[in-house]
Amino acid sequence: MKLGVFELTSCGGCALNLLFLYEKLFDVLEFYEIVEFHMATSQRSKEKLDVAIVTGSVSTQRDLEVVKEARNRAEYLIALGTCATHGGVQGGLENSVKENMKKVYGDIRGPTKVLEPRAVIDYVPVDFAIPGCPYEKEEVFQVLIDIAKGVDPVPKDYPVCLECKLNEYECVLLKKGVPCLGPVTLGGCNAKCPAIGLGCIGCRGPIPDPNIPGLVDILKEIIPEGDISRKLKTFTRW
Amino acid sequence: MIIELDEFTRVEGIGKAEIVIENGSVKEVRVKILEGPRFFELLTVGRNYWDVPDIEARICAICYASHSIASVRAIEKALGIEVPESVEKLRELALLGEIIESHALHLYLLALPDVYGYPDVISMLSKFGELVKEGLAIKAFGNTIRELIGGREIHGINIKPGGFGRYPTEEELGTIAKHANALVRFAKRIVSVFASQEARGAKVEIPMVTSEYLWGDELIVGNERIQYESLDEVPVQYSFAKHTYYKGKPIFVGALARLLLKGDRLVGESSRLLKAYKDKIESGYVIYNNLAQAIELVYALERVSELASEIASEGIEKGSGEASEDSGEGIGYVEAPRGVLVHHYRIEKGRVVWSNTITPTAFNQGMMERSLLEDAKRMFGREPEDRFKNRLEEIVRAFDPCISCSVHLVRL
Ligand code: SF4
Ligand code: SF4
Repeated sequence: MKLGVFELTSCGGCALNLLFLYEKLFDVLEFYEIVEFHMATSQRSKEKLDVAIVTGSVSTQRDLEVVKEARNRAEYLIALGTCATHGGVQGGLENSVKENMKKVYGDIRGPTKVLEPRAVIDYVPVDFAIPGCPYEKEEVFQVLIDIAKGVDPVPKDYPVCLECKLNEYECVLLKKGVPCLGPVTLGGCNAKCPAIGLGCIGCRGPIPDPNIPGLVDILKEIIPEGDISRKLKTFTRW
Repeated sequence: MIIELDEFTRVEGIGKAEIVIENGSVKEVRVKILEGPRFFELLTVGRNYWDVPDIEARICAICYASHSIASVRAIEKALGIEVPESVEKLRELALLGEIIESHALHLYLLALPDVYGYPDVISMLSKFGELVKEGLAIKAFGNTIRELIGGREIHGINIKPGGFGRYPTEEELGTIAKHANALVRFAKRIVSVFASQEARGAKVEIPMVTSEYLWGDELIVGNERIQYESLDEVPVQYSFAKHTYYKGKPIFVGALARLLLKGDRLVGESSRLLKAYKDKIESGYVIYNNLAQAIELVYALERVSELASEIASEGIEKGSGEASEDSGEGIGYVEAPRGVLVHHYRIEKGRVVWSNTITPTAFNQGMMERSLLEDAKRMFGREPEDRFKNRLEEIVRAFDPCISCSVHLVRL
């Protein structure tokens, strides 16, 4: 099967993390031939793809063209990482991109048209979305192997809180008064941050039906209200 | 006429270059950073200082710990937060782990195909499989350190003002020390591979590092010590990254600059290797940034082994993170794998009200253009166009540019 990896505006982490699969990358290579992946190879191709992975958010005209190209060429498209699934940190910006550009670059317009940073799924239909800043490697590995074997991968839809409970971690939010977004954040990281006594900062993006007012009521007791909305917006524009 | 290089491959982020030809000779080179702006300075403004290092980590996945540590150092200075010696040592360990991970990534996975003329390492596996696997082992080890100290391989949130969320155990540190030692032998082999490259690129004229090997309180430019505000940051029409100059000249940061200015810091095997390849390093050609990274890889592995044992035997004193002020201003200088990184904040009542970041790749923009210009002049008309383009891309790669990093400079 032919695999392409496409990078849009991002920190590079989600593309890099694929290389961090180490030995498992060799397992992936048993099923897939990488025909496009600019961080890893100088080979370029215009071939049809069985699977395309897109990382990063659509933030420029160039990004938009790349994401459309990936969609047109690929049978199966995966949006990988919170930038691609929810917009990522740049997607959480408060003012319009125009105002922000003005503040940073003055009158200079830059080499390509700048767009409001948005998730890949806002522009093209995707077949599967794996959030995480960065995502868990095990998850993407499993999804790639499932697809290769013709099995439908299963998305996760439960909050970080559930993983905390399953691990019997002490609740940082209710017991220690640490601000934590676990109740509204998509699980799958095995509650990494609460495991070491820190609050979840929401890096996997929101669950499908988050109970925001409920969480705000609890957080109000711990931090000022203005900070709550900033915290919620770190990885996505609500 | 303009010769367009395609988007760079085997580098982090999105960028390309244009070579301007006039009257049959090379006139100008423009490096166009196309990665979309990410506005980190704006993202930090208004935030509680406690959350800022985790946001800054997202600037770059390859060197997230450097960003978090530069950020906590600036915050600590601004708010008068005291840090115990053990915390400083654990930070050094994290930064060394990052140098190991990042240099191994660059040398073995991104730059190595240039040495042997392949498009990527995957196609090298049948002939050079062992070397590549050694590289992956080193890279994985660097990540193990980042995970232990930073909390995750990428974007850990364990690095906090004043200390850490979780501290490593004696046993974990012992394992790290042993493992590092075992990998030195592999790293020595990659040094000789990169020593075989021929001199190319521009010559480094003004090297620049921080005052100590991994962090300091000022910048060293030649024999001068300055604060980063004496540099000029200039936006350019064709790129999302600004150019940085000192007294009108481009500057250069990274492994080669560190060895040129602070090579005396090296001991053991790495110091012997530096002496053995002194002529190449001192020639200052940017292509030898690869060689410098390889020597630093040996240094980092040796130092990790020594440092981890030292921390384990001394025992760890945890930081309290207590701030003596709620407002103030602070600059954090840290040597990221690609060179010096600057984070600067003004904090009022616990909230960031102004922030600025300058990354290594942004520092190197001007020097990159100069290097391409010199090489393009040397090669234009003498090489077929494909080879001409490939050779130029190799020079870009020698800088180990990290483009995502470079696209959000601002002075508000
Ligand atoms: S989701 Fe996070 S790790 Fe992935 S590219 Fe975006 S900023 Fe980087
Ligand atoms: S606990 Fe939250 S912030 Fe931490 S890794 Fe999981 S989703 Fe991300």
